[in-house]
Amino acid sequence: MSTDVTIQHGEEINNSTGVSAKKLLMWVFLGSDVMFFGTFIATFMAYRNKSLVGPYPEDTLNIPITSVSTFVLLMSSLGIVLALHYLKEARMGLAKFWLLMVIIMGIGFIGFQVYEFAHFANMGMTPQVNLFGSTFFTLTSLHGAHVSLGILWLIFLLINEYRGNLNSENAIDLEIAGLYWHFVDIVWIVIFALLYLITANDGVPPGGIPWIGGH
Amino acid sequence: MSLLKDLFFYQGNKWWKIPKTDELSENPKNEHPFGGFIEKSKNIWLILSSGKGHAGPIYYWVIATILGIITMIEVWWFTVPELLYMLVPAMLIFSILKFGLVVAFFMHLRFDHKMFSTIFVTCMVVGILFFTVFLLLSAFHGLGQ
Repeated sequence: MSTDVTIQHGEEINNSTGVSAKKLLMWVFLGSDVMFFGTFIATFMAYRNKSLVGPYPEDTLNIPITSVSTFVLLMSSLGIVLALHYLKEARMGLAKFWLLMVIIMGIGFIGFQVYEFAHFANMGMTPQVNLFGSTFFTLTSLHGAHVSLGILWLIFLLINEYRGNLNSENAIDLEIAGLYWHFVDIVWIVIFALLYLITANDGVPPGGIPWIGGH
Repeated sequence: MSLLKDLFFYQGNKWWKIPKTDELSENPKNEHPFGGFIEKSKNIWLILSSGKGHAGPIYYWVIATILGIITMIEVWWFTVPELLYMLVPAMLIFSILKFGLVVAFFMHLRFDHKMFSTIFVTCMVVGILFFTVFLLLSAFHGLGQ
């Protein structure tokens, strides 16, 4: 078998495409995942305001808490680009620190989600109770599963980093995981705007938003 | 500090300087109250970078700060009753802005091979088409009624 691969800056470049095969595969996967999430988000929006029984979004969604978890996830994206930057510069201490921070922030985000789901369940909102519950839990759980998978991937990379198997020579491995992590972040950006900020406003009485007062 | 100096200082030590020029002669380059700021700001991404033409840590912090500010504006917008009638378009615009910033700068699509942009944008267009068709179908055929 002929080797049609060259190494440039620690990246394996496929000579027929001119790009890293690993990176190309990840972008193709992310492209398919965009369509995957697109269909779920479209389903949520199509069933928006169609629940026949409560609890309704304005009774359940807690925007302040979700804003904090959104901020945590956004900052984890910053953490992973910094980890990659320092790994490429072979500054291993900083690279490990930021990768660990990303993992902690990811676990924090999942913690917020678990709290939120438990809170909803206590309020009687479950996946089977109405259309809002079904579509909301399906979409956010799917996103949560992506985040969880990302955390496991990053833990694996951190262990490799400590063992000396991940360094500036093969930083592409962290870059690929970073692309996945950023993708999870941008999906949440859309979910936060559509599922939370827009939906929480559905049916809000003239008195204002429930958690601000006047409900 | 060197970043601030690069951006704002005029010829070394002064934040700004009123140029002393002969009315008949043309102003020399950058001889205006803001010194070289305007010229230098054209290369802001290079100044913020690690100096190698690639993005550096300061650059990432700036993008993250912008993302944080946009998120704060989103939440603030949601809490102002007078602005709620504009909530949907505002949230869509803010989301597109944040989405674009992360994809272009954190995911390096702006600097990477065009093939990656083509793949991602094509899939996104197909996804948005699914989205639009599905919403139109639900609107005109009463999906979920």
